[in-house]
Amino acid sequence: MALLRRAGLPALLLALLLAVPGMASAQTAEEYEVKAAFLYNFAKFVDWPPESFPDPNSLKICVLGDDPFGGSLQTVAGEQVGGHKLQVVRMDSTSRLAGCQILFISRSEREHIKEIVTAVKGSPVLTVGDTQKFADDGVIINFILEGSKVRFEINTGSAERAGIRISSKLLQLAKRIVTAPGVRPGF
Amino acid sequence: MLRRLQRVPIHQKLMLIALLTTGGALLLAGSAIIYFNVVRFKEEMKRDLASFADVFAGSSTAALTFQDPKTATEILRSVSPRTSIVAIALYDNKGHLFAHWGRDAGVTFPPAPGPDGSRFTQSALVAFRPVLLQEERLGTIYLRSNLKELHDRVWTQALTVGFVFLASGIVALLLSSWLQRLISGPILALAGTARAVSERRDYSIRADRRSTDELGILVDAFNDMLNQIQRRDSELQEAKEALEERVRERTRELEQRNEELNQSNKELDDFAYIASHDLKEPLRGIHNFSSFLIEDYSAKLDDEGRSKLDTLMRLTRRMETLIDSLLQFSRLGRVDLAVDRVNLNEIVDEILDSLAISLKEDRVQARVPRPLPIVRADRVRVGEIFYNLIVNAMKYNDKADKWIEIGWRENPAGPPVFYVRDNGIGIPEKHHEAVFRIFKRLHGRDKYGGGTGAGLTIVRKIIERHHGRIWLESSAGEGTTFYFTLEEGDVRA
Repeated sequence: MALLRRAGLPALLLALLLAVPGMASAQTAEEYEVKAAFLYNFAKFVDWPPESFPDPNSLKICVLGDDPFGGSLQTVAGEQVGGHKLQVVRMDSTSRLAGCQILFISRSEREHIKEIVTAVKGSPVLTVGDTQKFADDGVIINFILEGSKVRFEINTGSAERAGIRISSKLLQLAKRIVTAPGVRPGF
Repeated sequence: MLRRLQRVPIHQKLMLIALLTTGGALLLAGSAIIYFNVVRFKEEMKRDLASFADVFAGSSTAALTFQDPKTATEILRSVSPRTSIVAIALYDNKGHLFAHWGRDAGVTFPPAPGPDGSRFTQSALVAFRPVLLQEERLGTIYLRSNLKELHDRVWTQALTVGFVFLASGIVALLLSSWLQRLISGPILALAGTARAVSERRDYSIRADRRSTDELGILVDAFNDMLNQIQRRDSELQEAKEALEERVRERTRELEQRNEELNQSNKELDDFAYIASHDLKEPLRGIHNFSSFLIEDYSAKLDDEGRSKLDTLMRLTRRMETLIDSLLQFSRLGRVDLAVDRVNLNEIVDEILDSLAISLKEDRVQARVPRPLPIVRADRVRVGEIFYNLIVNAMKYNDKADKWIEIGWRENPAGPPVFYVRDNGIGIPEKHHEAVFRIFKRLHGRDKYGGGTGAGLTIVRKIIERHHGRIWLESSAGEGTTFYFTLEEGDVRA
């Protein structure tokens, strides 16, 4: 069993890379439904400083880059979390990030991750990544897959720098905790 | 039970009462304390488990939210240090078992969550609590605790109560054995006094009064009673002594009187004997000289003179028999009785033999219906009794068919009663006493064969010397029965 798993993991990665677009999209749709629900649920376990809400009635989820949710994020829009109504906003640049409470950084932005992290540095914005090693780059929560299951890792150093308090219950669920804020050493 | 207790000594009874009362009260109080403590403790346990479940519900919210049963299981596993919890489980909002942990391999879980709240089952305490996140129900947490803690608590309390029970019992025993003396002490002392009084009949003993309560009153009343009894006892004693003194006095008087009487009787007897004896001498002279006169001078006297001399002779003869009777009677008072076993049949037979001719001449039938007994008496005197009575019965009879019956009957209350019965002339009731007087004759001097009139007097004297009694029953013209007894006691010795 252990031998099989050791041999199986690279094979699986290879299979994912070479996966046919149709097959991948079916799996992806389900995956992003889960991720959309996660985004909404993160809000329940995260505390923002009160002054970080320009409009206390709404909690903005901003999607930066290509939207992988395919409309499933819209289903959570309008839900109430901690007295705030969820709003979903798509954006292309980092210029108006100040009003966002949650910033989902799409895979398409992987090249600009450093700039994005720098841009939100010091702002109470919960950055959520969807790309390997993003947590090490300073993104607060980063989705990862464990088999077919959606999991995440948390960079507590970044969260602290952003002034965001993440519930220990959420931390408990994190696949990995990164304490160093910002970029990896040597990056 | 209570009846058997009646035999237990009073001090044990008092101690038993104290012990039973204390024990009963303690048992009741102890049971009540245990009961209320258990009830309260069970409520506490329920609250405790519920709040414990709430803690786990809180920590499980993220795991439920993010559908992470593995983490949830780890969270649930953290219950393990609390050894009373045997099972913990998490159900999602659809009621499916989401994560669970059991202390042992065989632990089972309810397939679906029950209603919220905590409750006791037969062997466990279970709690279902909602898992809430921002007022949204994410699922249900389930906790099951064993009852070891409850059992330990009950056991500890039972032990404590048992110890208190035992300690109180010992204290109660010591206290009651000390305090019971307050009550039993005076009672036992009183009982002891009462026993001593009744055993020794000593009414001068007094009970010791130690307290002023009802027992003190009882002791006082008892002593008061003893006072009265003692007073009456001494009064009685005095009265008895006075009575005895009076009896002794009377006895002395009687003895003296008796002595005097005996003395005068003896003097009388002596006088009668001496008088009659001395009278005989000159009488004999008169008689002798009268007969000389008749023999030597009858020719010189005329008829009238001779007749007067004859009368003189007759009177001297009569005087002689009278004096003989008097002598015989007075001798009876002077001479001691020769008491021996006497067969009365022999006596009566001899008498009837000696009287056979007279009986035949007078045509008197004498009969003895059944043999007479053997008695202790003076043979000669008893013969005189029967002789006199039989002769009297023969003499005082004017019937054509004369009979005499000599018999006896047993007397359960005393000596046998003898009787001599005839069908003669009878004795009027007014003379029943007079017939026993000396020289008393009811009829003319020569009527019914004559006689001195001393016979019955002599008979009575003999009977009295035998400590017996004589009496008679008679009706005039029909006959007489003389009854008599001899010495008292067993006469047939």
